[in-house]
Amino acid sequence: MAKILLVEPDRLLAETYLKALAGDGHEVVAAAGAQAAISAADAARPDLVVLELQLVEHSGIEFLYEFRSYPEWQAIPVLVHTAVPPGEFEGSWQILGRELGIDIYLYKPRTSLARLLSDVRGQLPVPA
Amino acid sequence: MASDGSDGTPVLSQRLLLSVAEELKLPLLQIARQAEQGQLAGGTDLATIRATADSALRLLDNYSLGIRLALEPEAMAVESVSVSSVLYDAGQQLDSLAKSYGVGLELSIAGRYGPVLAHRQGLQAALVSLGAALIEALPAQAAAGTGSQLKLRLATHRSRYGIVAGLYADTKQVSNEALQHGRELQSRSRQPLMDLTHTSGAGIFVADTILKAMKLDLRASRHHRLYGLGTVLQPNRQLRLV
Repeated sequence: MAKILLVEPDRLLAETYLKALAGDGHEVVAAAGAQAAISAADAARPDLVVLELQLVEHSGIEFLYEFRSYPEWQAIPVLVHTAVPPGEFEGSWQILGRELGIDIYLYKPRTSLARLLSDVRGQLPVPA
Repeated sequence: MASDGSDGTPVLSQRLLLSVAEELKLPLLQIARQAEQGQLAGGTDLATIRATADSALRLLDNYSLGIRLALEPEAMAVESVSVSSVLYDAGQQLDSLAKSYGVGLELSIAGRYGPVLAHRQGLQAALVSLGAALIEALPAQAAAGTGSQLKLRLATHRSRYGIVAGLYADTKQVSNEALQHGRELQSRSRQPLMDLTHTSGAGIFVADTILKAMKLDLRASRHHRLYGLGTVLQPNRQLRLV
């Protein structure tokens, strides 16, 4: 069972994604903001992060800066699942994202739960 | 409305429309994913879907009202209005959305301030629009460490400028300058009010538009130890004399 940190500011969406990921056999820890996500990562030691970039007060990119500053989290896959559309992501967000190790970008309004679950499975380390 | 665009369309209404369009993606996304989750696992939370759809419809209604009032201010009937009853009705309209977000609504209308002069429908629509935006943002504000309780208070109090009606929470104060900066960034930034909400903030800008059309201001406000946004209304002095 993989541990997933879900960083999603909207409570209703978080509940839905949490149910879907848990239903797919993952252990999920949810956080609605950057600070809460760092604390949750510290406590849960996730195998993968699903991250919205639009958060309150601190952006998802600011979260990633801090997250990646810890050596033990530098190799953890990060799947960006965001309301930022592709046309906007392909600018400075993408450059920053590459620098900070974003493994996959998914545009939330066009990403079904099935696609999200499939991409999460694809990014998780294969059990030995 | 603000200066004209090249085709004569008011720029502000275009920016507000963009903001509303962006905001509407959220409830539609919620409904789509909740329905998909229901198909995957069986059992759909119909009450939440209904509250979400109602919230989207309300945003559209309030947007239409704001634009209509701005375009035809002469058609606006100002009447003697009880702020307490407007807040009570606004609370009723927000109840199901608040429940689905786990936010407790409180009503603080104990003071007797007498009636104010206002367009009742507009005032109520502005408060509901503002309230819905704040309800959706509160859990994320709490996670950002700017608030600890998921409670929103609809309240009225007297200030030296008049009678204030607003919505308040245990969050960081948003200044009038930040609010003005947000207005300038509306539709140009994905999160013009980033300290307040993770969305486009359309509900706040719709409330702002409605209040402006009524010659009122949306401003930062404080109620006891809570911070929020509200508007100052003028007492109806004529009625007092009767």
